[in-house]
Amino acid sequence: MSARPPRPRQAHPWAWWGWALAVAGASSFGTNPLLSVLLGLAVTAVVVARRTDDPWARSVGAYFALAGIVLAIRVVFAAVAGAGVGSTVLFTLPHLEFPEWAAGIRLGGPVTAEPLAYTAYDSLRLGLMLLCLGAANALANPKRALKSVPGALYEASVAVVIALSVAPQLVESTQRIRRAQRLRGGAPRGWRAVSAVVLPVLADAVDRSLGLAAGMEARGFARTRVATRPSSAATIALLGAMLLATFGGFLLLAASGTQERAAAAACLVVGAAGVAVGLRAAGRRLRVTRYRPDPWTPRDTALVGGGVLAFGTAALLGSTLWPAAYATMHPSTDPLVWPQLHPAMALILVGALVPLAVTSAPTAAGRP
Amino acid sequence: MTPTADAAPLAPRSVAMLAVAAVAGLTAFAWPLFARLDASSATTATFVFALVLPLVLAVVVAELTSDSLDVKGLAMLGVLAAVGAILRPLGAGSAGMEPIFFLMILGGRVFGPGFGFAQGAITLGASALLTGGVGAWLPYQMIAAGLLGLGAGLLPRRPTGGAEIAMLCGYGLVSAFAFGWLMDFAFWPFGIGPGTQFSFDPDAGPLANLHRFALYNLVTSMGWNLGRALTSIVLIVLLGPGLLHILRRASRRAAWASASRGRVVGPDASGLG
Repeated sequence: MSARPPRPRQAHPWAWWGWALAVAGASSFGTNPLLSVLLGLAVTAVVVARRTDDPWARSVGAYFALAGIVLAIRVVFAAVAGAGVGSTVLFTLPHLEFPEWAAGIRLGGPVTAEPLAYTAYDSLRLGLMLLCLGAANALANPKRALKSVPGALYEASVAVVIALSVAPQLVESTQRIRRAQRLRGGAPRGWRAVSAVVLPVLADAVDRSLGLAAGMEARGFARTRVATRPSSAATIALLGAMLLATFGGFLLLAASGTQERAAAAACLVVGAAGVAVGLRAAGRRLRVTRYRPDPWTPRDTALVGGGVLAFGTAALLGSTLWPAAYATMHPSTDPLVWPQLHPAMALILVGALVPLAVTSAPTAAGRP
Repeated sequence: MTPTADAAPLAPRSVAMLAVAAVAGLTAFAWPLFARLDASSATTATFVFALVLPLVLAVVVAELTSDSLDVKGLAMLGVLAAVGAILRPLGAGSAGMEPIFFLMILGGRVFGPGFGFAQGAITLGASALLTGGVGAWLPYQMIAAGLLGLGAGLLPRRPTGGAEIAMLCGYGLVSAFAFGWLMDFAFWPFGIGPGTQFSFDPDAGPLANLHRFALYNLVTSMGWNLGRALTSIVLIVLLGPGLLHILRRASRRAAWASASRGRVVGPDASGLG
């Protein structure tokens, strides 16, 4: 009825990813366990309030479990195979020495509080990063995200879309073949049953792919590309950009001085930009229309802006420019003191909670 | 049966891209050997490469799917990735039972190294999207699975019949361990944390770190790697001959466009009608 196209109810999937990755990045600047727990609660609140009933939205529980497993493994290893630093002995485990060929590992012995606290702080931070990834997986619709990939990746995204839509059909195909086998009687058992079911299903799937290809070809799928091959200069530039980005990553880890770090970061950024430009150029050879593209609205910018606010504040607080804030971002574990919060950390939390203000809850049906 | 006829030769452009991707991937996996970071920031190293690898993957997969694959290759890629994505949750968590690697090995064997790389990467990508498992580990898994498929495509073409199955089983064994070691090595400092005697120590040399890693891996992951290898071997023996036949038949039936590029080919000629 209205002249204006209806406003999409759900935020852009890449905006969710931007927000979640920025909050994950914010958590990497400090080890304060109070901040980690508060941020974790904020992210959980956003997920609970904004997720839909879609299958991918249920995965966040698995990320909670994964974060718990990482925390448990690290704490157990720190207690059993710790390097024996710290003075506050909590309790003593039975003691086991390994011979020299096994690197002289010592298991058990006195368990001290300092390394345990350090491990727990670091693991909470890591768990928070995992939770942010889980939030992005739960909130961003993967099918819509695939629709807005760069043009150069169009074919790859088509292959993934085929995979995502064929997968449920394979389950149906398995049931059909099993029913046919039962009707014929004498259904095979044991090991033979595996190949007796899997091979017909796979043959069916392969036939389906040939039919699909014939359909796509008949509708002119492969004619959307401009016939010119990319020039060899463009290829060499793209290869160079890839190598530069890889080298930058390598150098960033291997370098020791500040200047070398800066050079490495520059390599990384220039290489990444080169790859982005090269992919854009490759994508321009493609002529396709998109069905109902997701528009990028100011609300999506606000969503990403919330993440950037959290990231920027954490980067400022966690930098050595501001010693008082740095101390609260990295509470001391040796000597062990109770961690403190800094007033500016509220800005990080506000940034993480921005989605609650700018997006709306999904409708009862869970679909836009 | 002509195993050599079905694998389309790769363009030099694609070969160069694959070589760079292999170098970038191996650098990213081997970073604990050369990193000079202090122990607390070592966990961020994984994230540095988790940002670089998607760029490399994007370039290589874009190249492989746009210029080396036609529509039929793309549809085959999508369907094989769907089979992998369905099979993967079946064995998840039970002692490394991962029933997807045999598909990548067979796909790479029949359709060549470029297809094998794309199949490995896209299978794991689609599977992660389907189960909501996108994370820092995904680019690593995609590169490692891609290299696994690539290696399967580079195996000698000559063996057929029983010898071929035996060779693929051997490759399944080796690649299962290689995949496990690569993934564990890249995430070793990240999974166990700094400060224990099994931990990555940036001040120790590469050899000392390798020794520590070997001990850590023996304790934690040997069962998983062995389970993965045995799953691949059992599935290749059980399903390999039949599946190789199905895939080769499909690749012969799909040869219509490459045989007659530029001409209109009716459904009768392709056998699809």
